[in-house]
Amino acid sequence: MIQLREAAAYFVLFFVAAMACAIAIKLLTGGINMQGLLYGRTARGKLYFSPERVQLLLFTLWTAISYLADAGQNRRSGKLPEIPEATLAMLAGSHMIYLGGKAMAMIRMKNYKGGN
Amino acid sequence: MPASTPLTLAAGWVALGFIALLGIAVLWYIFTERIDLTFLISEPNGDASMSRFQLLIFTFVIAASLFLIIASPSPPRFPDQIPQGVLILLGISSSSYLVSKGIQFSRDEGVIGGTPEVKILPATAQTTAGGHPIQFKADVLRLPDTAVTWHVRSGGGSIDANGHYTPPESAAGGPPPPGTVVIEAVSQADPTVSDLATITLV
Repeated sequence: MIQLREAAAYFVLFFVAAMACAIAIKLLTGGINMQGLLYGRTARGKLYFSPERVQLLLFTLWTAISYLADAGQNRRSGKLPEIPEATLAMLAGSHMIYLGGKAMAMIRMKNYKGGN
Repeated sequence: MPASTPLTLAAGWVALGFIALLGIAVLWYIFTERIDLTFLISEPNGDASMSRFQLLIFTFVIAASLFLIIASPSPPRFPDQIPQGVLILLGISSSSYLVSKGIQFSRDEGVIGGTPEVKILPATAQTTAGGHPIQFKADVLRLPDTAVTWHVRSGGGSIDANGHYTPPESAAGGPPPPGTVVIEAVSQADPTVSDLATITLV
């Protein structure tokens, strides 16, 4: 007979997987708004292509996929895989570039408005 | 570990059943769009947000990995410790989101930017004369009031104030010829902002 602990663990795993699938399907089919994901706004409010967002997207996907693959390979170990320090350092750097770009855009917007 | 009494086990099964029902209800509401995820990763100005997106990705990756690790051994077992790197990863992701919001909300332009927009969903649909009605919804971006007025701009049928389109009835001698119906949603806050959707009558 299935044990309570197993049923709880399997249900939560099913729930997280189902939620992830639902969100992934909506992301891929346009059910979740993705307009402007890779774009910033100039001081005039126009959209511009933003390389800092692209590099953050690439680092995010790379880290996420490699960690999921690692967890899948070591699932019977009973331990969450460790994340290499180099990966964390690169991810932190990627976030700093993204935030720096965003801050610069906001400063430029402030200067533009201040000059008018 | 001490053996569970029948009462403890029964309480556990009842609690699990209740939580499972809640979880299934949430999934069902997402599937039927009663929980609307359209703007899950959007800013107040309607643009999709990279900081929200990465937080969403990492939350699901860590949650899925954790429960995979818990459910895989027999019997299931919570890990003895969460690696420091995972906590640092979640810290980077969450603090980046918070700092991003801080930067953005430091100026009105970061929240308001862009032009107002109305978006009808679905943008195209298909039905038959005398056939099933179609429910439309209109998302209003970058305007304080999200109310819209619905019109049938060309073609037959009618649409009510809630975006519920009813196709024209079939003629007595048979259905009317196929055609295209155009409906329009106009923002009540700014009547110059609108969107169109087309319905094909087959």
